[in-house]
Amino acid sequence: MKRRWKINPIVKLGPGVSQAIRSFLADKGIQQSIRIDLYFSGCCDSSLYLCVDTIFETDLTLELDGLTFVINPEIYQVVGEVTISYVDEMGRKGFVLTSSKPVGEWDGFGVSDIKIQPNLYV
Amino acid sequence: MEQYKLFINGEFVDADSGKTFETIDPGTEAPIATVAQAGKADAEKAIAAARKAFDRGDWSGLTPAARAAKVQDFADQITRQGLRLAFTESMNSGQVISLARFMPLISVTLLRNLSLAAVTKFPWEEEIPVSGNAFAPGREFIRREPVGVCVGISPWNYPMYIACWKIAPALLMGNTMVLKPASYTPLTALIVAEAAKAAGIPDGVFNVIAGPGRELGEILCTHPDVDKIAFTGSTEVGREIMRMAAGTIKKVTLELGGKSANIILDDADMELAVEGALFSNFFHQGQVCSSGSRVLVSSKIHDEFLDKMIKRAESIRIGYQMDQTSHMGPLVSKQQLATVERYVKLGKEEGAELITGGKRVEVKGIKGGFYYAPTIFANVNNKMRIAQEEIFGPVLCIIKYDSDEEAIAIANDSVYGLAGGVFSTNTARAERIARGVRTGTMWINNYHIFSDYCPFGGYKQSGVGREFGLESLREYTQIKRIHVSAIADHKSNMTFQIMSDYKKVDGFSYNCPTNVVAGHGALSSIYKAVADLGCRRALILTDSGVNKAGLAQLVKDALVDFCVGIYDNISPDPDLETVDVANAVARELKADCIVSVGGGSVIDTAKGVCVTLKNGGKINDYLNFLVLTEPQTPHIAIPTTAGTGSEVTNIAVLTSKGGGRKLFIIDTRIMPNVAILDPRFTMTLPKDLTVTTAMDAMTHAIEAMMSTLANQICDGLALHAIRLINENLPLVVADGSNEKARLSMQLAATMAGWAFTIAQVGLAHGMAHTIGTLHHVPHGVACGIVLPKVMRYNVDHAADKLALVAQALGINTAGMKEHDVALAAADAVESLMKKVGHPMRLRDVGVPEENLAICAFHAIADTAVIFNGRPVSDPNEVLQIYRQAY
Repeated sequence: MKRRWKINPIVKLGPGVSQAIRSFLADKGIQQSIRIDLYFSGCCDSSLYLCVDTIFETDLTLELDGLTFVINPEIYQVVGEVTISYVDEMGRKGFVLTSSKPVGEWDGFGVSDIKIQPNLYV
Repeated sequence: MEQYKLFINGEFVDADSGKTFETIDPGTEAPIATVAQAGKADAEKAIAAARKAFDRGDWSGLTPAARAAKVQDFADQITRQGLRLAFTESMNSGQVISLARFMPLISVTLLRNLSLAAVTKFPWEEEIPVSGNAFAPGREFIRREPVGVCVGISPWNYPMYIACWKIAPALLMGNTMVLKPASYTPLTALIVAEAAKAAGIPDGVFNVIAGPGRELGEILCTHPDVDKIAFTGSTEVGREIMRMAAGTIKKVTLELGGKSANIILDDADMELAVEGALFSNFFHQGQVCSSGSRVLVSSKIHDEFLDKMIKRAESIRIGYQMDQTSHMGPLVSKQQLATVERYVKLGKEEGAELITGGKRVEVKGIKGGFYYAPTIFANVNNKMRIAQEEIFGPVLCIIKYDSDEEAIAIANDSVYGLAGGVFSTNTARAERIARGVRTGTMWINNYHIFSDYCPFGGYKQSGVGREFGLESLREYTQIKRIHVSAIADHKSNMTFQIMSDYKKVDGFSYNCPTNVVAGHGALSSIYKAVADLGCRRALILTDSGVNKAGLAQLVKDALVDFCVGIYDNISPDPDLETVDVANAVARELKADCIVSVGGGSVIDTAKGVCVTLKNGGKINDYLNFLVLTEPQTPHIAIPTTAGTGSEVTNIAVLTSKGGGRKLFIIDTRIMPNVAILDPRFTMTLPKDLTVTTAMDAMTHAIEAMMSTLANQICDGLALHAIRLINENLPLVVADGSNEKARLSMQLAATMAGWAFTIAQVGLAHGMAHTIGTLHHVPHGVACGIVLPKVMRYNVDHAADKLALVAQALGINTAGMKEHDVALAAADAVESLMKKVGHPMRLRDVGVPEENLAICAFHAIADTAVIFNGRPVSDPNEVLQIYRQAY
């Protein structure tokens, strides 16, 4: 059973974010939810990132601008409210994710693409 | 609670904003200190202080030894703070105390070892004996100089030690530094700042600002006064730093993430491999960028290895980091704990088999803390995210493989390339695998071994540049090349003359060291000459004709027991292979001296053999100008013609099949040590060869005079050579046994050789080389046919020289205009040629008329043309000369 967020706003979208995500999904020909997830970006820093993924029962979900965002509740507990921005300036292009409880001191320093979660491993 | 301040310009100061932040003990989650939180204004102050200190020169301008002495004082002050540093490091970063207690020691060792290296081993200045530009002689050397203001950004896993990875080379190389420690673990860097102040490191040379990476990173990485950034941290941040640094082209050293493979071979010592895998993963809770978090295990030993790993992992004691009995302490933060938990969940979702761990651990008697159990996943596929992404926690992935090749392929299937290990009882096999894995470090039967003199850094997305050792010192310097011209005169500068109408080169270097022994019976000097050269095993190189004529045997007899053999398989117009084969013979015979007996082909081959015999390799490696730095294998030349002058020249002409033309070695080092001009060796030279080789010598002399490099020594030698040829060639043609005339011809050829060694030759040689290569016209014949035509072509650029030539050729120039005299010189050469029966036209020597155009294109590219008195750039002009000669 999907758990809907009760508190507003859980995810904030900056200008151009919805359009950029929709363009990405259309370009890839996929229509799935966007997961906000935590990953380790190498030697000492964790980051938030976006990936196209299926929804798990335990996930928190939110419909926003016609898009479905999901997050694992334990991760939400650690990072809090997530703000997604989209930048395309001076060679810096992609999504910038920050959170109300930063995952590290470099929170929002880098940019990332949307990843597609691989589903099958043999 | 302790309070720490920023260290800027030699003072401990509050943040400009007055802000502070708390730093905690991850083993208890309790705050342990407050730290001034730097912002943009503080970063700018620190950069300004570092800039001013660098420009002031009281650090950057010190001698390396003086700086090293100060850094040693710095190391002493760190030693004094050792206990405090160890406890603080442990408490702030979660390092177990049994590890943290070594941190001051190894940081001091690093500072001391690199100090010693900076003074005794680092090449601050290097001479470049061969510049690679033969046209601009001068002293060439490089200096290594500091880069300027360096920013060091250090991570939280080894806060003090990794800070010192950056501090030591930066300061020792004369840079100034702004260090930004990780916000989780800022304390020991600020204690190190206290040590720097106590050691008397000048104000502003070393600055430490603590604060959020996002805010400080942007200013530190984009500020125009920062010259270099050294960052240890995530690939994502590193990528952004690189992009930011690009704006002002800062130098960047990045030590980033890893997902290293630790490969356990089927012949590994099982107990060692288990301990190695355990240590490579769970040491410091797996929070090490070089962790061997992918354990690749041979399928032959997989099950046994796995059983032992589980038992061993479950025996690890997790406890508070300050407890001396703890094997593992806490992770650094709740965020890191959450990340590790996320990956463990992901691993399970991906289908990997969690066989131990995978859970938080509560430490008895402690409330809180970020403790996590040693975790092992089996049946991991290398494509899984847990095998591709760094986790930076105590999570080990076991991947089974069937062959060494498969293990290497799996190890290399990663965006990272930082480190790795191989465990095997067969060192050769292990090293073969280590060579195949694309990473910056590979350990064999060991892991996580860092050493001050051994470079550390990554391939692929694991980073750029190296820490430690001389490599790290180089990273903090930039190279300045200094050229001090050997000739300070614009009229001697060939390069400047590209933009000048003055094409002559006035200055010159005269270096003709060959000992010439001349006269009847001169051959007898060879026995002493070989002994004087310190040799005992002379190989005679010659051609079959000379050998059959008995001349080589004469030499062999004169050498008594110093001769190890006669090699006579040298053809006219020798190619590179000829040299290499002769060199193989010389090497086989252990020759220590080459005696060449023959014409230019033999002597030039011998020059090549002397080079390869000395230096190894093939002669193709040495086809260049002025690249030799040492005396070559001793060479005694005994010419049997009077033409090339090769017995004293600095040039060897060899045919390159690959290059499709004759190529050269031009180098003072190939001049023969001794030239023996014994007229008996030219007495049997047939008339036609006597004539054509003489015209080669004549061409040397006249072209040297017309050259842009001509000078008075060259002119003197050339003019006398011309006189001798003009007077004696008809005599030897008339009577080949005229020994006196033969000797004069030999001397003429030698003098002409000296002349063009100083001044080079010109267009006639370029044209002759071409038809020699393409149509096998003997060199002397080709030179003779085109020489008068080239003299006329050059007349307006070398009339004065050609007028002297005319006089040397016996023309009465009284009352004639210089231009007419110059033209008369060309006529006189043709008259001499007719008189002695030299071929006069290219059509007579087998050159097809339809090929003249292609010959012109080749000729214009010949090196000799560069020095022609009249600039040559239009192949149509060269074609016209060929047509005149046709």
